Amino acid sequence: MNDRTTVDLLQGTLAALILKSLSWGSLHGYGIARWIEQITEDELLVEEGSLYPALHRLQARGLVTSEWTLSDTNRRVRCYTLTEQGRQQLRAELSRWERFSEVVTRALQSRRPRTA
Amino acid sequence: MSDGVRRERRIWRPDIGADIDAELAHHLDMRERDFRERGLSPVEAREAARRRIGDPTTIRREVRSIDERAARERRRAGMWTDFHQDMLYACRGLRRTPGFTAIAVLTLALGIGANTAIFSVINTVLLRPLPFPDADRLVFVWNTHDGQPEPLGPGRLRDLQTQVTSFASFAGISHISYTLTGDGDAERIAGSSVSSGFFDTLGARPLLGEPFHKGTADPSAVVLSERLWRRRFGADPSIVGRTITLNGRARQVVAVMPRGFVWPSITAQPSSADTGPELWVPGGPGDVPRTAVNEDLDVTGYRNTGYLRCVARLKPGVTLAQARAEVASVGARLSRMYPEDDGRGATLVGIRNQFAGAVERPLLVLAGAVAFVLAIACANVASLLLGRGAARRRDLALRRALGASRMRIIRQLVTESVVLAFAGGAAGLLLAWWGSTSLLSLTPPDIAGISRSGIDGRVLLFTLGIAVTVGIAFGLAPAIELSRDRLTDALAEGGTRTSGSRRTSRTRDVLVALEIAIAVVLLVGATLLVRSFIGLTRVDTGIDTHNLLTFDVSVTGDRAEYQSRQVQFYESLIQRLGAVPGVRDVGAAVTLPIGGDDFGTGYLIEGRPVPKTKLRAGYQIVMPGYFHAMGIRILSGRDFRSSDDRKAPPVVLVNETLAREQWPGLDPVGRRVRFDDDGQWMTVVGVTGDIRHLGPSVPPRPEVYQSVTQRSFPFIAFVVRTERDPYDVMPSIRRAVLGLDPDLPLSGVRTMDEHIARALAKPKFLSTLVAAFGGLAVSLALVGIYGMMSWSVTERRQEIAIRMALGASRERMLSMVLGRALLLASTGIAIGLAVAPIATRALSGLLYGITPTDPLAFALTGIALGAVAVLSALVPALRAARVQPAMVVKY
Repeated sequence: MNDRTTVDLLQGTLAALILKSLSWGSLHGYGIARWIEQITEDELLVEEGSLYPALHRLQARGLVTSEWTLSDTNRRVRCYTLTEQGRQQLRAELSRWERFSEVVTRALQSRRPRTA
Repeated sequence: MSDGVRRERRIWRPDIGADIDAELAHHLDMRERDFRERGLSPVEAREAARRRIGDPTTIRREVRSIDERAARERRRAGMWTDFHQDMLYACRGLRRTPGFTAIAVLTLALGIGANTAIFSVINTVLLRPLPFPDADRLVFVWNTHDGQPEPLGPGRLRDLQTQVTSFASFAGISHISYTLTGDGDAERIAGSSVSSGFFDTLGARPLLGEPFHKGTADPSAVVLSERLWRRRFGADPSIVGRTITLNGRARQVVAVMPRGFVWPSITAQPSSADTGPELWVPGGPGDVPRTAVNEDLDVTGYRNTGYLRCVARLKPGVTLAQARAEVASVGARLSRMYPEDDGRGATLVGIRNQFAGAVERPLLVLAGAVAFVLAIACANVASLLLGRGAARRRDLALRRALGASRMRIIRQLVTESVVLAFAGGAAGLLLAWWGSTSLLSLTPPDIAGISRSGIDGRVLLFTLGIAVTVGIAFGLAPAIELSRDRLTDALAEGGTRTSGSRRTSRTRDVLVALEIAIAVVLLVGATLLVRSFIGLTRVDTGIDTHNLLTFDVSVTGDRAEYQSRQVQFYESLIQRLGAVPGVRDVGAAVTLPIGGDDFGTGYLIEGRPVPKTKLRAGYQIVMPGYFHAMGIRILSGRDFRSSDDRKAPPVVLVNETLAREQWPGLDPVGRRVRFDDDGQWMTVVGVTGDIRHLGPSVPPRPEVYQSVTQRSFPFIAFVVRTERDPYDVMPSIRRAVLGLDPDLPLSGVRTMDEHIARALAKPKFLSTLVAAFGGLAVSLALVGIYGMMSWSVTERRQEIAIRMALGASRERMLSMVLGRALLLASTGIAIGLAVAPIATRALSGLLYGITPTDPLAFALTGIALGAVAVLSALVPALRAARVQPAMVVKY
């Protein structure tokens, strides 16, 4: 595999990514993991040890619901869907992220202030 | 409806562990497939997938705990919303049927209210702590004579005090009336002369000052009750140290006891006593409480004079049974040592039994009666609920078909009945609060005397508990019954009678029959008690009580010293009173029947050997003319005369019963008897008619009468027969007495009828209340039968209409409904009459002149309830007869 920068996931970022992954429709757990891997071109390594707890926690908070469906290969698969509450949460996360990254970017790109 | 379905799903519990395993397995498989597609060998792909997921057990554990917590929270929230929704649903439903709700709540309020009121009295009298520390360790000690408790004498008091090791402390009490003079009118006050350790034994703390203690009592000290201090001394805060005059002697107030220090006058036989002592003074020589007969007498060595009530505190660790055994063995040993002890035994009674013993039984009977009323109320409401439920049957069946579990429906229906019960309980509490005030006015003094009853935390808790229990009790059966239906049964036929409603009808039949049975039991009890009470009021006491006034007088100072002066004084008082306009006859006696003192004595008959069991008789001391004033006949011989004085030969009269027992068929006049503790023979000069000295309920016993002119006491009771209402004449009587001596207190002014009413207060209280509860039970049963019959007529309207269309007459319909009611009633009555003898056995000691299985009472009750049943079915029956066939069938 190629060189890869591992970005530590900030607290809550995984949850935001999960919500985002479900914003186009239902997905099962593996699908969510794959989507994150693909969209970040494998730069973000999703720890599977934290993906499932995060998913179930979102479900307990009522942000996503799950339903057992049958796959093409006739297997029982648990699919997750965003709830209305989850959708609102995603919007909130998004705007917060934007403000956060804007502030951090500005801070990191700033020049040495001129002294009077 | 969709609401019901959604809620049902929550009850389905997924297998959390299996779900997680499936989810992770799917993840692994998918990852493995991806790796294979990228060209890894199957084995490598599986290995890589496993490496990638890490430790599956950790993930499983973490996810599992998240899911389980979430499930728990959901369930809790679900239960709360279920409950909340059931409550809303119940309230809405009850509001929609205000008639049903009002009847059910009223019925329950009557049942719960009656129970709460009686419990509040029981709580006060039997359960509330006595106002002494560690009151459970306090006991009363009595002699026993032929199995009957009686007061101790000074000799045995001192012997028991020194020889019984079970007692930490021990005190004798002697009830004495004191004349308080100075600071206003002379007044006679109930008091006690007590051993110096009295207050130490009780562990009572004073309100003011310091009461006397064991071994250090100043003989001239006096302790006042709070009531006396307030009433007579205006709650003077500087009372301690003041000197007051009691029986003409100066005494120094050392303490005032607090209001809670209530000490009923205790008698050996539980009886209705007046108010307790209001002051306490220390005993005389040898720390022996003084006698009422002669306050200055040194009685230390007396063994055969019993006048002491004794209270003791058990040593730590000694049980009541151990102490009782020890007291019995010491008592028996003393009787072997001292022939004067006359073979008496000794026993002890716990203080609570002593205080409440006389009222415990009546209160428990009342508790039983109100429990019956509550049972009827429950059956009634259960029956109403069933009838109401029949209308909702289809709704409930539909909900079940849509997934509501049976448990869920039962829970909802029971919630509804508990809501009803709470409403009934709240209304019942109001009733009880209002009722306990009037209950108190009915209460005999020894029930009310201990302290005012009231509604406290324990009573509230009791009512709450009863409401919940009752709500579940009467709600459960209908709930189980109504939740049984399947949709198909309920919907199959549009509104006609179904198998379900037939079953409901059967259940209601059983409930109504049960109700009637309980009402029968209660009514039989009430009939017995009322007839017993009426019997008591009609008993011939042997006294003509019409316009007969009584009052007590006691003499102090010089007059008390010499018996001859006492007699002189009493004679002049009788003369003066006889001259008062409106007074017809005057008499006087040391021991007045019914509510007065009572003495007893052993006696011997001249010329007969000393019998193995000693002859005993009541001992009465009366003035000449007493029998005439009281309306007591002299059957043979003569009354006392004033010439029967101390110098004349001693004489006695005996009553009819004694004469009959000792000289059957013979005239005792001229024969001689003597008291067993006195050597002098006394001649019987006359025989009197029997009277009931101890009250209407106690049959006459042998009596020996002696004349005050030959044996006098410093206190006496007068009886005055007046020509009109005695209380109209009372002011002139008082003037006449005070004209002779302004320092002479008149006390206990009461008519003989009032004395009798007081003696009958307890049976009156009990019979009135049980009769009231019996009436309540019957009216509830009436409502029950009425409700049941009108419901069944409504249910069967079509059937009735068809029958009438086919030619059945209106009369036939009428008799069909009435017949059914009568059948129900007679089943209930039969059961009730069969069970009643078991219940009325509890009344055996409380009945007078009637057995607990009195056939007349049973028959009357049966007939009365049968009539009530027919009466209450009449309206529904008439309605059935008025059904218009055409209308109903079309409809």
